[in-house]
Amino acid sequence: MKAQTTRAADASLPAGSAADIVIDNVSMSFPTQDGTVVRAIDHVNEKVDAGRFVAIVGPSGCGKSTLLSLIAGLQTPTSGEVRIGGEVVRSPKRTTGVVFQEDSTLPWKTVLDNVCFGMRVAGVPKREQLERAQQFITLVGLQGFEKAHPPQLSGGMRQRVAIARTLALNPNALLMDEPFGALDQQTRLLIGAEVRRIWRETHKTVVFVTHDIQEAILLSQEVWVMSYRPGRILDRVVIDLPENRDTSSVGTPEFSEVFNHIWGLVRGEAMQAFADSEHAGLAGNHG
Amino acid sequence: MASSEVAPQAGRSRGRGLRLPDATPSVLLVVVLVALWQLGSTQEWWSARVIPAPSDIWTVGRTEITDGPFFTDALATITAVFASIVLGLLLGTLAGVLFWRKQTLGKMFEPYLISFYTVPLVVFYPVFLVILGINLWPIIILGSIMAAIPMALNTWVGLSEVRPVYLNLGRSLCLSRWQTLRLIAMPAAAPMVLAGATMAGIYSLIGVVAMEFMIAQSGLGYRIRYRYESFANSAMYFYIIATLVISLVVVALLSLLPRLLGTSTKGRS
Ligand SMILES: Nc1ncnc2c1ncn2[C@@H]1O[C@H](COP(=O)(O)OP(=O)(O)OP(=O)(O)O)[C@@H](O)[C@H]1O
Ligand SMILES: [Mg+2]
Repeated sequence: MKAQTTRAADASLPAGSAADIVIDNVSMSFPTQDGTVVRAIDHVNEKVDAGRFVAIVGPSGCGKSTLLSLIAGLQTPTSGEVRIGGEVVRSPKRTTGVVFQEDSTLPWKTVLDNVCFGMRVAGVPKREQLERAQQFITLVGLQGFEKAHPPQLSGGMRQRVAIARTLALNPNALLMDEPFGALDQQTRLLIGAEVRRIWRETHKTVVFVTHDIQEAILLSQEVWVMSYRPGRILDRVVIDLPENRDTSSVGTPEFSEVFNHIWGLVRGEAMQAFADSEHAGLAGNHG
Repeated sequence: MASSEVAPQAGRSRGRGLRLPDATPSVLLVVVLVALWQLGSTQEWWSARVIPAPSDIWTVGRTEITDGPFFTDALATITAVFASIVLGLLLGTLAGVLFWRKQTLGKMFEPYLISFYTVPLVVFYPVFLVILGINLWPIIILGSIMAAIPMALNTWVGLSEVRPVYLNLGRSLCLSRWQTLRLIAMPAAAPMVLAGATMAGIYSLIGVVAMEFMIAQSGLGYRIRYRYESFANSAMYFYIIATLVISLVVVALLSLLPRLLGTSTKGRS
């Protein structure tokens, strides 16, 4: 335990203590071309306790990314406020780490430079940058690719680079937006297990967006189910599976029970989203 | 050392420019054409008064180099072109960044910038002449403006097309505006910006030589006209060829820019 905490809290980085996230009556609307307004987030009132792992599931276009970017401070809510560790979020914080849904690796930098990038701009000493970068490159299984450039890598490998870049910053709150979307099933499970292991060691506050219900249940302590337009939290389902769960938990009755409960909620929303996307020309999703 | 071959825009553009091995066929082509030209002239397929033989041009050219004004003129042109490119790139980059930051300002200038492409800016030369006098400055200023326009447009477009997620990454890492520009936006826009720089070089060259040709007391453009007006045909051809060579060198130098920038990006990390 001692070794783990010293590794997590390096002198040059903010102490890795977790922070709680309060989403206080937050709404977010976007104007559209035809003059109407899309209510992406509608009066969401939720709290993530410090050190808790929350997964958010919901159909495509329900506002998961929007909610995450509001927590990250990348967007300002139309009304309401987000507080992290008691502080109102008005702009991005160094202590909040974000993994984006889209590929955010910088194609002109090597894998190593990409992973170092966040630490470099945070002013971490060069030697420590390299040390930590190596550690997290190994963790995401990219050793040997340090000198490669992202265009030479697969989409899944690029996303692992982005994950390593964020993890290396040792944030207090970790916001991940479908981080495994581009990964194949095996890698998904492996990296998922790694993220869960890191979380259990460091006890960061994690908000993890996915549309894979099984993944949400396997990784988190609590699953929030989001509704499709307006985006609300329909239900927060506490996951009572054992701490050291793995894929073998998938078949258990406890697992099936929560899965069916969440799927029941998501299904209706997904069908509505799908019907909407029929004429919007968007792709539907499948859990 | 092995890592210095990094292309900053790997996988997106093949703007690698002139590399020596690739230039071999092109050089060969020139050699063949010059040989044909020499043959045609000695065989009198055309009048030597219209197109003199390369050997004659070279004989005359040698005296232009040793006893004539060649070096003075070449130096004047190179100075003006170099100064225009440097000033134009600076001005264009600044304007492009400004238009990106202040989109309304950009929208205001856009139609004029685009129409400047079609307006022969050279017609403004007399204005600058009146203000600045007969020296290198009117030429340099006009050359810079001509270089700045494609640079500004390309920088602006390149920056506007940077994927939003890169800028969000910069914001989530709490980068300053300057850091975002230097570390994220500019490298991401590099292919566009560099294409703009190449165009800037070509435009300033065209501008400088054309203005020398029209009203100037020195420079290769001036000398071409001067020799032409005094019926020194071979000498005129010599200066035309010298101008061509200089433009090739300018384009070749500009094509090195990506690699220069690529390595300097690496050096900073
Ligand atoms: N900047 C914006 N301008 C206009 N509308 C937006 C903007 N951002 C999001 N929206 C709209 O808000 C809604 C929610 O978008 P969001 O990206 O948060 O969904 P999501 O749940 O992350 O979807 P996905 O699962 O496909 O990633 C969508 O209808 C989207 O069209
Ligand atoms: Mg999303």
